[in-house]
Parts: sequence; C-alpha cells; structure tokens
Amino acid sequence: MFHGIDPRSPIPLYVQIAERVRLAIATGTLGSAAPLPSVRQLAAELRINPATVIQAYRDLEAQGFVEIRHGAGTFVRELAPGRRARERSQQAVALVRKLLAEARRSGVSLAELQRALETELGVKST
Amino acid sequence: MTDAIHLERLHYRAGKNFEIKDLDLHVPTGSIYGFLGPNGSGKTTTIRLILGLLRPLSGRITVLGDPMPEQHARVLGRVGYVPEQPHLDATLTVRELIDFQAAFYPRWDRARADELVRRFELDGEHLFGRLSKGQKAKLMILLALSQCGDLLVLDEPTDGLDPVVRRDILGALITYVSERGATIFISSHLVHELERVCDWIAVMDNGRLITEAPMEKLKHGTKRLVVMNAPAEIVNPPFRVLTRASANGGGGAGENWVVGDWEPGMTSYFEGVGASVREVIDLDLEDGFVELLRSFRKGGTGR
Repeated sequence: MFHGIDPRSPIPLYVQIAERVRLAIATGTLGSAAPLPSVRQLAAELRINPATVIQAYRDLEAQGFVEIRHGAGTFVRELAPGRRARERSQQAVALVRKLLAEARRSGVSLAELQRALETELGVKST
Repeated sequence: MTDAIHLERLHYRAGKNFEIKDLDLHVPTGSIYGFLGPNGSGKTTTIRLILGLLRPLSGRITVLGDPMPEQHARVLGRVGYVPEQPHLDATLTVRELIDFQAAFYPRWDRARADELVRRFELDGEHLFGRLSKGQKAKLMILLALSQCGDLLVLDEPTDGLDPVVRRDILGALITYVSERGATIFISSHLVHELERVCDWIAVMDNGRLITEAPMEKLKHGTKRLVVMNAPAEIVNPPFRVLTRASANGGGGAGENWVVGDWEPGMTSYFEGVGASVREVIDLDLEDGFVELLRSFRKGGTGR
C-alpha cells in the first residue's frame, strides 16, 4: 500500500501516506473496520519520523475515513454509500491532472496525448 | 521548557583558522533534528560544545534545561552520545562493553540491550577490535539507546556504512523514538537520509549557521523560478534571492532564480515590477541545501 512513498517529493510525506490510505479505502483494499498499521510499525517500515505517521492518521480521522481508538489502534470507518465511489472519481481526476501537468512540462500537445491514450486503450490502432 | 538544546550567541575559536561565531540553535523537545553541513563546517565542534566537552569563549548552552558545561555530570546521564569515531576499548568483547556501559547508567534498559543484540545480529563473545565497521556502528547505537536517555546526540552515525546497516540503524532509532518520545540531534551530510526522518533542519557552513527551519518550511520555501524580463535591481522582495543567472542558451530575457522563504502567491510581486514568472519548480532538500550553501559562500544572503 505504501510502496513508492517519496521523501524527495515536494508533497509532504504525511499527505502522501494519507493519500495512499484513501486510495486503498476507495478501491476496497481496506474494508470497513480494517486496521491500519500501527504508528510504530509504519514509521519503522518506511524509516520516517513517527510524528509524520501520526499526522497522516489525524488528517484521515478529521476527513472521516478512520477512527483512532487510543491504545487499540486506527481503524477504517464505515463509509456512507457512494463515498468510496466519490473518492475513486476524485483519485481519477487527480491522476489526469498529474498527467496533464507532466505533458505540459514536456511539451506534449493535447492531441498527441489523446491519440496516445486511445492507442493504449485499444480504441484506435496505429 | 520547550527546547532540548538551546544555544545562544555561542562563540568558540580553535587556532587561527577556525571559529564558530554567533551561533544560535533551538532544538525543540521531541523533534528529530537534522544538523547538515559539509565536512569541516563545524558540526562536530558544535556537538562537543553541546556536550560540555569544549568550553565556549562566550555565549550560553542549555541542554535538557541545565546550563553546560557547568551541569555536565547531571546532563550527560540523560544524553546518549555516538561520536564520529568509535572510542571503545578494542580488547573488550561486545558483552563486556555492554556490561561496562550499563554500570554507569542508572536507567539502563537491559531488555532493550538484549533485544538489539539479537536484532543487530551481534555476537557477545566477539572482540570490539575485530568487529566490522557496520558492527561497530551498531554496537555504539545499541549502547546509546540502552541508556534510555531523553536526548540522543549522533555525530554522522551512518557515515560510510552500507545501505543495509544504515537501514537497521535508522529503524532502531525510529522504534526508540516511537516508544520513548526522545529528542534526536543527528549530524550528517547524507541529505536524503535526513529528508526521510527529520522534522527540523539546520545548515552550517564555515562555523556559521546558514539556516534553521522546520523541514516542510525549508523544502516548500525553496524554489527555482524561471523569470522573464527581470529588472537588474530588485528592491525589498518578500522572499530571499539565493542565486540568479540568465537561463542557458537563447540569449533571451529569461533568468533562473533560486529563492528562499517563498510562498504561493508571491508571483504577483514580479508583475508589480514588470516581470513575470514562467515556472515555479520544486526543489528537494539536497538541491535546496546546495543552493543555500552556494549563496552563502558568495557572501550573499546568509544570516
């Protein structure tokens, strides 16, 4: 779930961790009541500051995705119907934005991008 | 008391060529504080001053609430220190060294020491002098952690070690912090390692402090800008200009700037002076570190 967390990225580590957890919840990898790794365990595994993990979990709690039970751990909350789907479509939007930004930076035009996308999806053959 | 280490206007001189001048540091309790600087910048000297091993010419040193070097006996009982060079008796075994160290520390945690011997795969019967560099480093960390100090001062603890050993050591440090909530002061020039774990960063060069800031602030405040039509002189910008140079090739009006203390929205400053920012590029800690040093050495905007 946390593969490829990048400390050199301008996106703060706690944001990256929270994003991964939200994605796992959205796609159902983490179901309702599923436990998140303990702060100690995740900090040691990623070799990051435990405070960073705590901050990520607190943000997730504030957003209503998880519940922190003191002494017991952090657990995925029961989500309202439709929330997972909404979260997934938000992830899709984020992916597209990332792609567009990268394309702009490297000078790939929209038409070229669209053609590549269609080819990859098998809509159109080259 | 909110600072585990507090230095105020510290002044120290060693010989003619090296001095530490006007050094202020604030290491918040509970932080993992990265102390960065090139070799010879004064990191080890600063650490020795913090521990009361050297006396400053002037200035104040407070460690865990007590003045140094006056209270060094009391303070050092609560501080785990790993020096740059292994300093243990080469003719003693791992087990003897652990027992020897344990005798000095009333809070010694025997269970943690045993656990780390296993985790680090150390053999109690081996002589210190025969250990590999990585095993020596692990033993030093083991000794510092088992003292159960409130502050760990680590001088280049992973310098020159292979990635596996570095991982083991960082993992043990992180486990310790999550269990005990101690402050860690860690000097290094391995920027990427600090980027993972630290929440505060200080940068030193040539005996001076260049910057001290929360990691996120430092990372997010340092950017590379592509500026078009920049005027030759700029007055009172809301950010710090670290370097500026004309963009390579083209010969156009574009310039590359590196700025500090940057915040989103500051691009409007350029519009006010008839210029524009074409791109704002994020820098990682290493890029930011290099740019800070470069600008400081040019005698530019260091403090």
